[in-house]
Amino acid sequence: MKLTHPLHRVHLPKICFGLLFVTAVFSCQKELHFDKVPEKDHNLVLRFKPVVSFDSVPLVLGKTYKNYFKEDYTPTGFKFYIHNFQLENTDSGKIFKLAKDKYYLVDFSDTTTMEIKITIAPYVYNRFSFTIGVDSAQNVGGAQTDALDPAKGMFWNWNTGYIMAKLEGTSPKSPTGRFEYHIGGFSGEENVSKTIPRLFPFPTNLDMKPGKESIVYITCDANAWFFQPWDIKIADNPVIATPGLLATQVAENYGSKGFTIDSVYNEP
Amino acid sequence: MTVRWTIRLCLLLFLGCLLVNACNKKSGEGNSGPHPLTLPQPAGFPAPQYSFTGNPLTQEGVELGRKLFYDGKLSKDGNFPCASCHQQFAAFATFDHPLSHGFDNQFTLRNSPGLFNMAWNKEMHWDGGINNIEVQPLAPLTAPNEMAENINAVISKLQQDEEYKKMFTAAFGSDTINTQRMLFAITQFVTSLVSANSKYDKVKQGSANFSQTEQNGYTLFQSKCISCHPEPLFTDHSFRNVGLPLDPFIKDYGRMRITNNRTDSLKFKVPSLRNVALTFPYEHDGRFSSITSVLDHYSSGVQNGPTLDPLLKNKIPLTNAEKFYLLEFLKTLTDSSFINDTRFSQP
Repeated sequence: MKLTHPLHRVHLPKICFGLLFVTAVFSCQKELHFDKVPEKDHNLVLRFKPVVSFDSVPLVLGKTYKNYFKEDYTPTGFKFYIHNFQLENTDSGKIFKLAKDKYYLVDFSDTTTMEIKITIAPYVYNRFSFTIGVDSAQNVGGAQTDALDPAKGMFWNWNTGYIMAKLEGTSPKSPTGRFEYHIGGFSGEENVSKTIPRLFPFPTNLDMKPGKESIVYITCDANAWFFQPWDIKIADNPVIATPGLLATQVAENYGSKGFTIDSVYNEP
Repeated sequence: MTVRWTIRLCLLLFLGCLLVNACNKKSGEGNSGPHPLTLPQPAGFPAPQYSFTGNPLTQEGVELGRKLFYDGKLSKDGNFPCASCHQQFAAFATFDHPLSHGFDNQFTLRNSPGLFNMAWNKEMHWDGGINNIEVQPLAPLTAPNEMAENINAVISKLQQDEEYKKMFTAAFGSDTINTQRMLFAITQFVTSLVSANSKYDKVKQGSANFSQTEQNGYTLFQSKCISCHPEPLFTDHSFRNVGLPLDPFIKDYGRMRITNNRTDSLKFKVPSLRNVALTFPYEHDGRFSSITSVLDHYSSGVQNGPTLDPLLKNKIPLTNAEKFYLLEFLKTLTDSSFINDTRFSQP
C-alpha cells in the first residue's frame, strides 16, 4: 500500500485522461477528420444554348421556326445525353480525360441541366470532344440511375435501349400535327452514339490557369437535325422513334453540324 | 484512496466505451446490413445468365421485391400488381387466359408467360425485346393496356409509404427510393423463383421412377422435342417461327418488331416446358387451350412460310398413342412444391 500509494496520486489521473482520450480518438476516428481546405468543386463550366441556324437565332421551346425545307415546326422538347469529355492540345499531344466518366442529360426545358461543371487539369487546350449518346454497356447493363434513370423518359421500355437525343413538337407539315424524333440504337449499324471533336473558335483556346475557371459556350442547333448530309423532312418522316436507318441519318446530321463551340471565357 | 481511483477509472472507461458505441452506431451500418442469400443452383443447370453484379441477392431485397410484386401501387388504378397477370398457382402465368387483362378493361398483347428460373433467361418477353431482366418490369408498368402507370408516379407513391422506407433501408442501407432500387428488388424476388423439384427432377436424382407411359413419353421427347426444348431448362432461349398462322386482328410479327429484320418475322421465344401443365393456354397469343392441341399443331397443323423453322419443314408427325405418352411425360414437369412455396406467395 505504501509503495503504490504515491504512484496512484501522481499517475492515475493522467493515465485515466490518457485512456479516455485514446479511446475517444480511436472510436471516433471516422467522424473526427478535419475538413480539408475546401477546393473548388469545378474549374470548367460547359453552357449549352439551343439555337436554330447555327448561333444566329436562339431557340425558345414553344416558338415556331423554319427548317431548311421551309417547314414550320414548334419544338416542345429538345434534350440529349452527353458524356466522355476529352480535351486535347494538338501541338503538345497532351490529352486530358476525366477519370470517371459520367452521363449528363441536357434538357432545354430544365435550366438546371443546361450547365455542366467539371474539373480538369489546368492547361492550354485547343480541341474539345464529347460523345452525344449512351454507350452500349449502359444500354444492356440493366437498371441505371442518376441521369440514366429510366424515369427521365429517355428509355424505351419494351425494346430496351436509351433514347440518346430527342427533338419533338408540332408541325403543320405532319399529318397528325406532331413530329417526334427519338433517336436511339446502340448495336452494330444501328448505333447512333456520336463522338464529336470540336476546335475552339479561332484564335481562342481553352487557356486554363490553376485556381481559375473557364466557361465554354456550346450551341445546339435544332435545324441541323433536318439537313446535311441527309435530308429529313417532317412531311416525309414526322415520327422517327425506333433504331434504324432514319435514326442513324438524323444522328449523322446533328453529329456533323448540330454542336458548335460558340465562345470561350477564360478567367484571367 | 485506491477505491476512489478505481471508481474514477471505471467511470472513465465506461464513458470511453459509451463513446465507442455511439460512434459505431453512426458509421457501422455495414455490421447489421442485409443478409446475403445464395441463388439455388439445381443439379445440371448451367451457370445463371443474370450475374447479380451490383445487385447481390439478400433476404431483405427479396422480401422487398415480393412486396412490390404483389402491390397494386405499381399500377395506375391500384388494381394491377405484377401478380395480377403472374399467379403463383399457374406457375406465375395467368390461369386460363389466352390474353391477360390490364388497365381499363384492356387485353394484353400476348399470353402471360410463367415466371420461374428467370435468372437463366437471356432475353425477356416473347419477342426478346428486353435485354436485361432488371429493366423488364418497366414494360408492363408503363404499357397503357397493362399497369398504365408512369415511373415517377410509382416512385413517389412508394416514397410516401413508411413501410417501404423501412424495407428499402433494410435492403439497401438507406431510405432512398428510386427506379434502380425498385428494379433491383423486383429482380431479386423474380430471380429467386427457382423451380426444379418436379417428378422429372426427382427421377433424375434417383428418388422417383417414371411410370411406363411417362418413360415412353420421355423417350419420344428426347427424339422429337429436345432440339428446341433441351433439358434441364427445357428451352434453348432461341426465337423460332413454329408455323402458327398470323392472327389477322392482333397482327403480331414477334421478334421482327424488335429487330426490324424480315427474317425474324413471326418468330417468338421458345418457352420452357417446365410447369407446362399449369400454364395453359399456350403459344404467344394463348390460341391453344390444351397441350394436346399444341401437339396436334406440331403433328399436322404447321403452316409453311419463308421464316418457318427448318426443323418443322416436315412437321413432327405423331400418332395418337405418341401424343398420349408425350402428354404423360410433360405432366411430370409440374413442380407442385414451387406453386405452394410460401416464400413466393402474397406477403
